[in-house]
Amino acid sequence: MSELPSSNGLLIVPHLRVQNANAISSPLTWGFPAISAFIGLMQAVERRLEGRFALMFDSVGVVCHSHDAQVTGGYQRALRLTRNPVNERGETAAIVEEGRIHLDITLIFGVSGYSEDGQPDPVQGDWQKRRTIAAEIANLLGSMRIAGGSVFLDPQHQPVLEPLAQGEERSKQFRRLRRRWLPGFALVSRDDLLQNHLQQLRGENASADLLDAWLDLSRLNLRVQEARPASESQPAKVEWRAQRVVPNGWLVPIPVGYGALGPLQAAGCVANARDGQTPLRFVESLYSIGQWLSPHRLRDVDDLLWYASAAPEAGLYRCHNLYSQTLCTDDME
Amino acid sequence: MNAPSSSRQQAIRSLIERFIAERLATKLEGLADDDPKRATLLAQYAPDVWLEDAARRAGQIQAVTHTLKAIHPDAKGTNLYCLPNSLPQHALVGSHCLGDDFAGDVVGNAAALDVYKLLKLEHDGQTLLDLLLAADADAIAALHTDDEQARSLAPAFTGITRARDGLASHTHGKQLYWLVGDDPRNDEHYHLLAPLYASSLAHRVYQAIQADRFGEPAKEARQARRDKQFHPGVIHEYPDLAVQKLGGTKPQNISQLNSERRGNNYLLASLPPSWQPRDVRLPIRTRDGSIFPAFGKRPAVAELVRSLRDFLLSGPPANVHTRNSRDELLTELIDELLLYAVELWAFEPGWSAKPECNLNRAEQLWLDFRRAEHDAIFASEWRRMEWLTEVRERFANWLNARLVSKLSVGDVENSYWVKKAGGNALWLDLDWLNRAWVEQFEREQRDLEAEHE
Repeated sequence: MSELPSSNGLLIVPHLRVQNANAISSPLTWGFPAISAFIGLMQAVERRLEGRFALMFDSVGVVCHSHDAQVTGGYQRALRLTRNPVNERGETAAIVEEGRIHLDITLIFGVSGYSEDGQPDPVQGDWQKRRTIAAEIANLLGSMRIAGGSVFLDPQHQPVLEPLAQGEERSKQFRRLRRRWLPGFALVSRDDLLQNHLQQLRGENASADLLDAWLDLSRLNLRVQEARPASESQPAKVEWRAQRVVPNGWLVPIPVGYGALGPLQAAGCVANARDGQTPLRFVESLYSIGQWLSPHRLRDVDDLLWYASAAPEAGLYRCHNLYSQTLCTDDME
Repeated sequence: MNAPSSSRQQAIRSLIERFIAERLATKLEGLADDDPKRATLLAQYAPDVWLEDAARRAGQIQAVTHTLKAIHPDAKGTNLYCLPNSLPQHALVGSHCLGDDFAGDVVGNAAALDVYKLLKLEHDGQTLLDLLLAADADAIAALHTDDEQARSLAPAFTGITRARDGLASHTHGKQLYWLVGDDPRNDEHYHLLAPLYASSLAHRVYQAIQADRFGEPAKEARQARRDKQFHPGVIHEYPDLAVQKLGGTKPQNISQLNSERRGNNYLLASLPPSWQPRDVRLPIRTRDGSIFPAFGKRPAVAELVRSLRDFLLSGPPANVHTRNSRDELLTELIDELLLYAVELWAFEPGWSAKPECNLNRAEQLWLDFRRAEHDAIFASEWRRMEWLTEVRERFANWLNARLVSKLSVGDVENSYWVKKAGGNALWLDLDWLNRAWVEQFEREQRDLEAEHE
């Protein structure tokens, strides 16, 4: 399951405005909805379409153009709260601090069209038909919620459904597309840095663990640099500087999925489950490192796309993005 | 019981009795000598009486690592005690990273938390709870002088680590569908996932951040930084760290560890970088008739230039990694430049035609390219693309000047890159600068040209 599903088309919905999306993506992170929220959205779209188009949704990429977090404070942020209605007994409802954020995002779906009932693959269809399909799906998105936030389409930007070009044409196509996503930042996975950094930390401290590596990548570490020793004429010159693992890489801690806390419970065994037909599992969030990149830095659309996998026997339900895998191949060349 | 270990049993017993006596002392504090409550309290805190009551109240609390109430204070349902080492060891961050050294949490009636404190009393590095769970004869015997009574008390205490009967989630708890098959339209291809709050994990993150913010070594390092003094330590800063309050004014209702954290839950920021169009101004009255002085003042650009300078000055070996790191920094700088251009492209075209605009022609052609739609001379100049070469040179000259001006003469002389450039006044090798430039920037411009025509 750890391979990006191959797609023959891209469905691009540019500049979706999301209002009051949930900014708390996990018990340890805030600032952007978890990538699993976008995977869930993609699956919900496919379900809502009920096979209206011969189209499967394989993966999703997100470019964030701007954001407006509903927070206060400088060094330490506090969440700006809403006053919620009282409960049925007229008592003040328990306050659950919810972070909210307004977003302007472009969604890029990797899709697979297929021919059905003698009809041609919609991805390969003519320009006008593709535009109609894209508009219809975008309208559907406009009626849904993204990470709990309301969605507004920007009429100035047309959604498109494009067949993915092959060979040399493919990179040309991608260069054209990615420029349209400027200015903005795409989220990619840096699982590789988490592992590399752990090895590095272990060089200094054998008992370092993944959590140490994760925290170290999530913060700025300031050290004295270029300390010039004091001389008779001049006092020592000391400069504190932040050092980063990736020079100027905008690295962030992100939740990427869930790990099981016990066995899968058969459907109906757990009280108050959302339904009685689906097996349920208690889980916790799992975390990795992500990087926000200008779309210019992406070399192929595959760098951008995320997909989900499930390995129930290993107790692992997670999202993947293969940006760093292509980085490794580049290094080997 | 066993004669040889009776002294150990005694030690554990006195540990327990001391604990009870301390609690009694706090209760008695402030009570008048003749207060009738004194007698009641003294009776209640007789060790055997108190222990028996504690064993009864132990049923009101549960030792856990994962809680539901932290997700919503009104949620009632299953909380779990998962030893980190018993969880699958994923290559991601989660509670499994904690290993043996983790803080257990307690949920349930806050009034019974003292029972948990009792069980956390340590004898020879092991908690009373650990000892009882291991059926340690001395620990059990220490619970009561009567063996039978002691043996009946022990299971009541160890019961707090057992999950309560009947698994339950709650409408206020989170539950999400995860596709486990390959057809999103098939309901049977999903598992329901019910995330719990990893309290022990959150506690270690909390402690790490507290130490980085308020610990003594951190304070010393910060003071040294303020005083511009040398200090061997590291200052850890968590940009945009947010604090979420769990449990409002009653954090103890959520869990014991939440109470120890005063209800503060730290959230690390995943925020994307900010791009704020209102920060961009049209380059009408520019310094030296160029955008580059203003461009260089953008914080991201200034930092990149500084990083590039620091990197080159650090004397990295001449190998492929050095080249990659250098090119990465340069690429980011070019990204910033392209981003800047895109920001300006958002303005109404033709702004560069204003008489008060002192921007040089090449940069006008680049940054106000849509003016060509209504300006024939401008359009023909644009098509010759000579401006592209000029902008490239301006960028290279600007960057070199920025790098050199920040260096002292000695720095320049000692720089590996200067030696390599063979006394070139520009200590950055223009060749590689140009190569990277051509690849990243010119290509984009040509695409734009193709689209434009």
